[in-house]
Amino acid sequence: MKKYRYLHLFIAVLAILGAIWSYVLLTNPAQETLDQRVQDIGSQLRCLVCQGESVADSPSQFSQQARMIIREQLQEGKSEQQIIQFFQARYGDRILWLPPKQGFALVAWLIPGAILLGGLVLLFFVLRNWQRSAAIAIAQPTISTKETSEIDDADFAEYRAQLEQELAADDPIFARRKKEAS
Amino acid sequence: MYFSDLGFISLLLAAGFATYTILIAIIGAVRGSSALVSSAKRGAVAVTGFLVLASTCLVISFLIHDFGVNYVAQQSNLSMPWYFTAAAFYGGQQGSLLYWAMMLSIFSAIFIFTSRRAPAALVPYVTATLMAIELFFVLMLVTVSNPFARLPFVPPDGVGLNPLLMDPGMLVHPPMLLMGFMSFSVPYAFAVAAMVTGKLDSGWLRSIRRWTLAAWTIQTVGLILGAWWAYHVLGWGGYWGWDPVENSALLPWLTATAFLHSTMVQERRGMLKVWNLSLVIVSFALSIFGTFEVRSGLISSVHSFAYSAIGGFFLAFLAIIVLFSLGLFFFRLPKLRPEQEFDSVLSREASFLLNNFLLIGAAFAILWGTLFPLISQAVSHQELTVGPPFYNQVTGPIFLVLILAMGIGPLLAWRRTSSRSLLRNMGIPALAAALCAAILPLAGIRNPLANVAFAVSAFTGGAILYEIWRGVRVRHKHGEMYLVALFTLVNRYRQRYGGYIVHLGFVLLAIGIIGSHFFQLQTDATLKPGQEMNIAGYKLVYFGNIDEHYPDVEVITAQVQVWQDGQLLRYIYPGRQFFTHFDNEPASLIPIDTYGLTDMYVFLDNWNGPSQATIRVFINPLVPLLWIGGVFMLFGGIICWWPDRRRKPRRVAVGAGEDVERGEGASAALVPPTEQTPTDGANNAGEATDEPDKTAEEAIL
Repeated sequence: MKKYRYLHLFIAVLAILGAIWSYVLLTNPAQETLDQRVQDIGSQLRCLVCQGESVADSPSQFSQQARMIIREQLQEGKSEQQIIQFFQARYGDRILWLPPKQGFALVAWLIPGAILLGGLVLLFFVLRNWQRSAAIAIAQPTISTKETSEIDDADFAEYRAQLEQELAADDPIFARRKKEAS
Repeated sequence: MYFSDLGFISLLLAAGFATYTILIAIIGAVRGSSALVSSAKRGAVAVTGFLVLASTCLVISFLIHDFGVNYVAQQSNLSMPWYFTAAAFYGGQQGSLLYWAMMLSIFSAIFIFTSRRAPAALVPYVTATLMAIELFFVLMLVTVSNPFARLPFVPPDGVGLNPLLMDPGMLVHPPMLLMGFMSFSVPYAFAVAAMVTGKLDSGWLRSIRRWTLAAWTIQTVGLILGAWWAYHVLGWGGYWGWDPVENSALLPWLTATAFLHSTMVQERRGMLKVWNLSLVIVSFALSIFGTFEVRSGLISSVHSFAYSAIGGFFLAFLAIIVLFSLGLFFFRLPKLRPEQEFDSVLSREASFLLNNFLLIGAAFAILWGTLFPLISQAVSHQELTVGPPFYNQVTGPIFLVLILAMGIGPLLAWRRTSSRSLLRNMGIPALAAALCAAILPLAGIRNPLANVAFAVSAFTGGAILYEIWRGVRVRHKHGEMYLVALFTLVNRYRQRYGGYIVHLGFVLLAIGIIGSHFFQLQTDATLKPGQEMNIAGYKLVYFGNIDEHYPDVEVITAQVQVWQDGQLLRYIYPGRQFFTHFDNEPASLIPIDTYGLTDMYVFLDNWNGPSQATIRVFINPLVPLLWIGGVFMLFGGIICWWPDRRRKPRRVAVGAGEDVERGEGASAALVPPTEQTPTDGANNAGEATDEPDKTAEEAIL
C-alpha cells in the first residue's frame, strides 16, 4: 500500500487540477480584444523598412499604416489567415516573419526538429550502450550510507549522510565532531 | 607626431612581440627549456603593455578631439559629453577590434600571472595559442581595420556617435559583450594546449573550468545588459528580438553552459572528455563568429553599426580555427578514453547528458534560424526571414524541458538514485508546482501554455530552495544559526550552491520572460491635449508637447499624467532626441515606471506640432524579474568562480591524473614570488597543520 502512496497522491492532485482547469476554461472562454488581435497579426509580419522589427513592434510609418490596415480588416470581419494572405500577396514572402510551412521554407522548420529527434535517438542509444557495458563490467555495490544515531527525520537521512560524508572529507572540524559523536 | 602615430607604432610592436612569443613558447616547450618559456611569458606581458598603450592613445585621441584621425572623426564630435567621447573608443568596428585585442592581452597577462595554478606543461602552449589569436587581431588592426588611419585634412568637427549608442547602456553593454566573446579564447587555448600535450587531467580540467566560468559569467552579464539596453532604448516594449547579433551572442553562452555542466561529469567520473573538448572548441568558434557578425553586417540587424570588408578575413580565421582544431582533435582521439563506466539512467550523469542535449539542441536551432535566410537566398533565391515567432516556437519547449531538468537534476545522486528517494525528494517541489497550477487559473491567468510554464518554474524554484533549505537545516541541527548555516554552506560548497543560485536566477529570468511574453498588453492612441487613454486600470492624460533646442540636440517630449483609481501617480515625459548629423534616427526617451512587478513602458510614437501625439503604452508584467534574475546569475557565477583554496580531490572513485601536477613544483617555482597573493600563502600556512597533504597539493596548484 505504501508503495502506491505517491501514485495515489499524484492522481488526486491531477484530478483536483483538472477540475479547476475545466471549471475556469468553461466558465470564462478566452476573449481577445481588438488591440490584442492586431498585435497578434502584426507580430507575424515583418516591418519592411526596419532592421529586424515586426509590424507590431516598429514605430515606423510603414508599420503604423500596416497596423491600421489590419485593424480595418479585422473590423470588416476578415480572419487572421486572410489578412496575412493579403499582405503576402501585396509584398511577397519577405513580409512574413515566419518562414511559410511550404516549399523550400519548410526546410527551416524540419531541420531543427529532425536534429532534435536525431539527438534524442542518439542519446537513447548512448545511454543504453553505456548501461549495458556497465552491467557486464561490474555489479558494484553502492557505498552503504552510514546512519548516525542523531538522525531523527527520515526524510533528511539520505541527504544528511551525503552531507556528513562531504563534510568529513573536507572539513577537519566536522570530522572531529563526528568522531566525538561516535 | 600625434598620439595616433604612437598608437600605430605600439600595434606594430605588439605584432612583433606576439610573433616572438608564439615562436619562443613553442620552442621552449618542445626543448623543455624553462628559460625560453619564461621569456615567452614576458613577451606576452609586453604585448599586453603595447596594446594597452595603443588603446590609451586612441582614447586620448578621442578626448583631445584629434579629428585628423578618421575613426575619431567618424565616431565623435565636439558636443558629446566626455564619457561618450571616451566610450566611442569601442563604438565602431576598428575601435571594437582594438578593444577586443586589448582585453585578450589583459586576460593573457592575468593568465600568465596566475599560471602557477595551471599545469605547467600546458602553460607555453596556452600562451602561444592566446598570442596567435592576438596576432590575428593585431594584424587586422594594422592592415584592413586601422583605427589610427589619418585623414589628409583635419575636419573642424566629427560626425558623432550613432544616437542609439548615446545611452548609458552604451557604456557597459558593448564592452561587456565583446569581453565575453573574447574571454572564450582562454578556454580554447587550454583545449589546444591539452590536445597538443595530451594532458587532459584534472589539473587541466580545473583551470579550463574556471576560465570558462569567468567567460560564461561575463557573457551572461553582457547578454542581460544587452536586453536591458534594448528595453530602454529601442522602444518596442521588448528586451529580446532574436536579432542575428543577439543570437550569435547567445550561441557561445549556450555551448559554454553545456560545457560547464558536462565537465562535472568528467571531473567526477572521467567520462565525456571528447565531448567536452568539442564543446570548448565550438564555443570559441561561435564567439569568433559572433564577433565577426557584430562587426560585419553579414546579416541585417539592429546592431549593424559597421559595415566593412573585414568579413573575409574573419571567415578565413574561423576556417583556420575549425580545421586546426579538428586536425589536433583527431590526432588526440586515441588518448581520450573514458575512465569509468556508466551505471544508471537515473543518475546525475544522465541528467547532465540530457542538459547538454537540450542546450546544444537549442543552440543548433538558433544557429539554423540565424543562417537560414542566407541559405535560402543561396539555394532558392527566395528572400525569407526568420523572425522571433520561429525562435519562440522552436526553443520555447526546449527551454521549458531544460528548466524542468534543472529542478530534477540536482535531486539525482551520482551513479544511481533509487526511484523511491527521488520521488520523496520531489514531493515538496511537486507540491509547489501543483499549488501554482491550481492558484493561477483561479486568479485569472488562463493561458494554458503560460500556466504550464509557470508551474514548471515553480517546481524548479521549489526544488532548488528545498535543496538549500535541507542543507541549512542539517547544519542548523549541528548548532549553527540559520543565516550562519546558509553562509557556511554556500561558502564551503561554492560550486554547488553557486550553481543553485545561478539556477534560481535563471528560473526568475524564465518567469519574467513567460510573464512578459504571454501577458504583455499594449495600446496606442493619437491624442489632443486633455484627451486620455486607458490601459490595465491606468489612465494616461496628455497635455501637449514640449520642444527644446540645445546646441546639438533637439528634444521633443510629450507631457503625460498617469492616473490610477482617481489618483494622480506621476507625470511622465516620453520623447525623442534629434542629434545633429543624425536627423533621421531620433533616439527615444522612454519612461518606464515599475509598479510592483509590472512595468509601464510609454513610448512617443509620433507627434504633430505642439498639440498632438501618438503614444504607445505597454504593460509588461514581471519584466523586473529579468534584471533580478540576472543579478542572481552574476552572483552565482562569481560564487562558483571564486578561488577555492581548499580543494579536495573531487573524484568519487579513484581515477588517473591526480599525480601529474606533483612533478611540476619545480616549474611552478619559476613564477616570481611577487605573484603570490599574500592571503593565499597565509591561509595555506594556517591550514597546513590540519591537512598537510591537501595544502601541499594546493600550493603546487
